[in-house]
Amino acid sequence: MRKVFLTVLVVLLGVFGWAQGDKLKACWIYVGPVGDYGWSHAHDQGRIAAAKALPWLETQYVESVPEAQAEAYMDRLVKQGCQVIFATSFGYMDSVLAAAKKHPNVIFAHATGFKRAPNVATYMADFYQLYYLNGLMAGALTKSNKVGYVGAFPIPELKRHISAFALGVRAVNPDAKVLVRWIYEWYNPAAAKEATEALIADGADVFAFTEDSPTVIQVAAEKGLPSFSHYSPMQRFAPDYVVSGQLVHWDKIYIDFLSKVYAGVYTPKNLQNVDYWWLLPQGAVELGGKFGEPINPKFIPVLKAKVVDHPVFGKISVYDLVMKELALMKDDELAFDPFQGPVKDRHGKLRVPAGLRMTKQQLESMEWAAPGVAGPWPNEPK
Amino acid sequence: MEDLVWTTLIRALAFGTPILLAGLGEIFAERSGVVNLGVEGMMALGALAAFAVAQSTGLPLLGLAAAVLAGAVAAALFAVAAVSLRANQYVAGLALTMLGLGLAGLLGKPFEGAPLAHTLSETSLMALALLLALALWFVLRHTYWGLVLRSAGENPETVDAMGINVFSVRYAAVVFGGAMAGLAGAFLSLAYRPSWADGITSGLGWIAVALAIFASWHPLRAVVAALFFGALYHLSYRLQAQVTPELLKAMPYLFVVLVLSLSALGRGPSGAPEALGTPYERGERR
Repeated sequence: MRKVFLTVLVVLLGVFGWAQGDKLKACWIYVGPVGDYGWSHAHDQGRIAAAKALPWLETQYVESVPEAQAEAYMDRLVKQGCQVIFATSFGYMDSVLAAAKKHPNVIFAHATGFKRAPNVATYMADFYQLYYLNGLMAGALTKSNKVGYVGAFPIPELKRHISAFALGVRAVNPDAKVLVRWIYEWYNPAAAKEATEALIADGADVFAFTEDSPTVIQVAAEKGLPSFSHYSPMQRFAPDYVVSGQLVHWDKIYIDFLSKVYAGVYTPKNLQNVDYWWLLPQGAVELGGKFGEPINPKFIPVLKAKVVDHPVFGKISVYDLVMKELALMKDDELAFDPFQGPVKDRHGKLRVPAGLRMTKQQLESMEWAAPGVAGPWPNEPK
Repeated sequence: MEDLVWTTLIRALAFGTPILLAGLGEIFAERSGVVNLGVEGMMALGALAAFAVAQSTGLPLLGLAAAVLAGAVAAALFAVAAVSLRANQYVAGLALTMLGLGLAGLLGKPFEGAPLAHTLSETSLMALALLLALALWFVLRHTYWGLVLRSAGENPETVDAMGINVFSVRYAAVVFGGAMAGLAGAFLSLAYRPSWADGITSGLGWIAVALAIFASWHPLRAVVAALFFGALYHLSYRLQAQVTPELLKAMPYLFVVLVLSLSALGRGPSGAPEALGTPYERGERR
């Protein structure tokens, strides 16, 4: 009897072990709750899509992990058998490197970071191209020539996005201004609401934002004013007032990365130079406030009616301009770029010389403001 | 300029409404002698209850009632510990804040990001808050029950000697405070920004606690204080280019410290109930 039992146990263990060996376990650490409809939510959607697409993938996640506790959580995930760990907040950077040193056989990937190691890769899906296109539409829609922007923190990522947005606004409406207000929080609906009210009081009539809730959209819609969705498909919060926006597809990066780990292309020894900076061509980002719909059909007629004199395309409607430049950027990163020189900052200083573009490093550390940006801009270079 | 004053006043009223509602509740609880630091947690539970009920039934007024109930139940729970069992009020209150925030976050998962078809108007709730302030001032100042409530906070022994149960009075005040905090939460999730999300209260409960002190436990001064805090909050965005926003946002707390210091020096209005924060025990001499 005992022998039978032992045999069964051994066979079971064998089967289980084999099944385990064939799987890859990837784990995610989120800084916010997965239901926040912002950053962590989007990463979790990527995780779910990757798990669906890759039958050999097993996933696990922990949400709302404070940045100071990230390392302890990573240790725990390693103990629970995670072979790949995605750390999805900028603030996890040093914890990721410390954990990676402790666990040299585990693969780490850090979103938005810039520090790498043999077993630490970095990745980012960036929106600056889309912000420029949103800016084109905002510039065409504003009647007061004041576009409102509610920003979370004055960090390079937002400065890059707001500047790209302002360049778009100015490309179709040289008189327009982008009024910026900061709320100094990633998620604070009350602050976002008051900031939007303040912008409305100052005369802004079209809105864009970087904050993890649909507050700006809702407040603008109450007053009948158009806005642009940010990050998640927020068009459904105001289907008549959201013009377009930016959407992310983290799953594209996750599937690519995990497939390469599974195939043995990426190992814990060769990630030193693995840095994903994925934009439109790779399909990591999408234009729109709703998946599969780049511009809300309700706004197409007015955008088609607004014709501008473009230096390259001549007389062209804003709608056609957006679609044309979207196609160009999707097709080939080199065909068109919002920060195509010459670009001056708002004080008239030349920042990108004619014929040049900004490098990834320059984009990631950008502090200056594009012409048309109005409002406080901490750390602005002279 | 005229426009700046006008819009600031309107926004101050809107932003001041939740802190006024919750602050009035806290004033009642504290006037009876009980400090309840759980306002933030009760507000979160109220906001969730309001949204959940309004969203599933389509009746925002029913949501409002649910919020009042949720806040009251949470406060009753606190009262068991802080009034009946004589636990440290500050610790029990902090626990209630943490419990409320955590529970609301957990139970609220299915409602995150859900749209709300029928909302309440900001203006009607603003008016309600102002009327409540007036009514509560009257009750507190000019009625028998107001006198009993104030006495429970000033000198509970006397209330007891009068043959009135101090515990019942304090229970009633604390539960009423919870109901008001729940109402404040409902304002947030049904009117101010109709939606539910974890962390929707974002510290407003604490401002309400500060408001009770700043208003020196007086319902009408609470209106002025709420307007003042609301105006500061609005201006921190309006005047962002001119004034550091951090400074304007720290103002409510700065003013609380100022008022407390002044009253300690005996130069300003204080009005802190004598027995505030002290659990009552029958037959014990202070």
